[in-house]
Amino acid sequence: MEADLESSFPRSVCLPFLRNAHNADGGWGFHPGSQSRAEPTCWAILALINSSEGGACEAVDRGFRFLRAAQLPDGSWPSTPEEKTGCWVTSLACWVLDSEKDSATAVAAGLRWLCEDWPRDSTLWRRFIGRFSAQRHVFPINNSYRGWGWTPRTSSWVEPTSFALLALRCAPQAVLPAVAQRRRQLAEAMLYDRMCPGGGWNCGNPSVYGVAGEPLVVPTAWALIALRAHPQRPENVSSLAWLEASIPQIQGAGSLALARICLETYGRAWPSGAPQLHDLHEKNAFLQSVQVAAWATLAVNRRRHWLAPARGEAA
Amino acid sequence: MRNRALVPSFQRPPSSVVIRRAANYEQDLASLIYESLAVFNLPLKGKTVLLKPNLVGLDSLGVMNTHPSVIAATRECFLRLGASQVFIGDGPAMDRDTEAIVESVRLRDYTGPLARTFVDLNVDDVERVPLKTHASRLNELYLPKTALGVDFLVSMPKLKTHHWAGVTLSLKNMFGIVPGSCYGWPKNVLHWAGIDRAILDVNAAARPDFAIVDGILGMEGNGPIQGTPKASRVLICGSDPVAVDATCCRIMGLMPERVKYLARAGTLLGHVNIHKIQQLGESIASVRTPFAVLPAFRAMAE
Repeated sequence: MEADLESSFPRSVCLPFLRNAHNADGGWGFHPGSQSRAEPTCWAILALINSSEGGACEAVDRGFRFLRAAQLPDGSWPSTPEEKTGCWVTSLACWVLDSEKDSATAVAAGLRWLCEDWPRDSTLWRRFIGRFSAQRHVFPINNSYRGWGWTPRTSSWVEPTSFALLALRCAPQAVLPAVAQRRRQLAEAMLYDRMCPGGGWNCGNPSVYGVAGEPLVVPTAWALIALRAHPQRPENVSSLAWLEASIPQIQGAGSLALARICLETYGRAWPSGAPQLHDLHEKNAFLQSVQVAAWATLAVNRRRHWLAPARGEAA
Repeated sequence: MRNRALVPSFQRPPSSVVIRRAANYEQDLASLIYESLAVFNLPLKGKTVLLKPNLVGLDSLGVMNTHPSVIAATRECFLRLGASQVFIGDGPAMDRDTEAIVESVRLRDYTGPLARTFVDLNVDDVERVPLKTHASRLNELYLPKTALGVDFLVSMPKLKTHHWAGVTLSLKNMFGIVPGSCYGWPKNVLHWAGIDRAILDVNAAARPDFAIVDGILGMEGNGPIQGTPKASRVLICGSDPVAVDATCCRIMGLMPERVKYLARAGTLLGHVNIHKIQQLGESIASVRTPFAVLPAFRAMAE
């Protein structure tokens, strides 16, 4: 009974919610009635594509058109339409548009921008002066490993680096800039370097002033998904164990959905006594979040085309 | 849209700050807060209010986040004073699952259903705000329409030390209105701009109309997340957030003039000077509880 309720939950609640939240301009905002933005539009498109629901195609096409129109001339995507500087959302847009035949040029431009966007905290000069900084003991991280920041020319963080890895992973080899392979290697090394002691990730601070950082579900799930080509590495194994152990305490629907996606991507069974998305929905209605409704849809539907193996990689 | 003119501190009249003893979170905080608000004769009839607590992370022990009983009691008071709507909103800096954080502090148990009351400022609609001050190199910020649109904005921090800024009180708490959907988790662009400078710019762009600090149980040492619980058993409030923060520092045994951003805020956003602050309720000396700080901030200690 509980299992039936959970499996029908996307169709009965999440998908109608996403349909009702779809804006006339083709995009989605973070909430019903809010301004269209690239990030929630990406999540809604992924949820609809994965749902194979009748009528979804037209909504998805409109979403794709919104996304293409939101791209900036330099190939990046901004977090909000008025903004003239691109950001981490570029990874997400490239990842989502990769599945659409009319978007190859847009994706290629986005990936170029992404590969040219280096974090500022780890330039040669900064690394040199960092050797003499009192801060080097505060953040014991290896700055020669470089990922991506949330905004250009800042520092590397776990989630934007994970999204960039996902975008690079699914892109056709032909459109990847020459530096892409090197950036992937550096970014993967950066993620492993930033893992919390004992497994799992937070935003990217494994330790501050000698105190170990506490891992969080959302960055742990995205990092593990981005690093899923290395399932046997001890860091993946310990992080997966941390994630599995934290499931009973999860109180947010977004975390719960991503934990499930992550665990099942690694071939682990979702525990039968885990909290249920529909129960959490009854508490706060997902705080009316389009993103969480999309993640919940993706979590319950086990057809994960959107997490298909990388091109040229075995399933 | 909030667009209050900035008044230099030398042109501002003296500010009042109320200090109340509160032994624990189980006592009748609503009466205590209502009596304190009465001092200020706030024009709240028919006004919309946003309470901006400090919700930084998963916290079942009530140490790092503003306690839900203080938030709920304040909400009740503002409604009793005639506010038409009282929202609660924050944009946590380190974790994008805001629902998980508000559930971990059991906010819903104190305030009732959150779907229509709570605003996740990280993912609110945003508006471009050219900055009035240029303390940092940020010329503009995208800020949440809810925070810009309400009639009355209340900063509700926890009494804590902070490993980068020295202390985190009602001014630093305003970092929480800067949306993660634009700037990330954490809002790293503010760190690159210089935390002290960015605090000034954010508060000049959206200066809180009132501040209520939860000092019943605070945090010392390596705050705002990994510090040690410290009970001061006080609530501090006032309509000048700079004066409130300066008073909090003095209660914590710290010199506000030596907190970089507070010293600068004292020239533009409110009063730091003790002679310009009328202390009501308890005296600072009677509730003074020295807080331990990291070695980098020892110069702040009295």
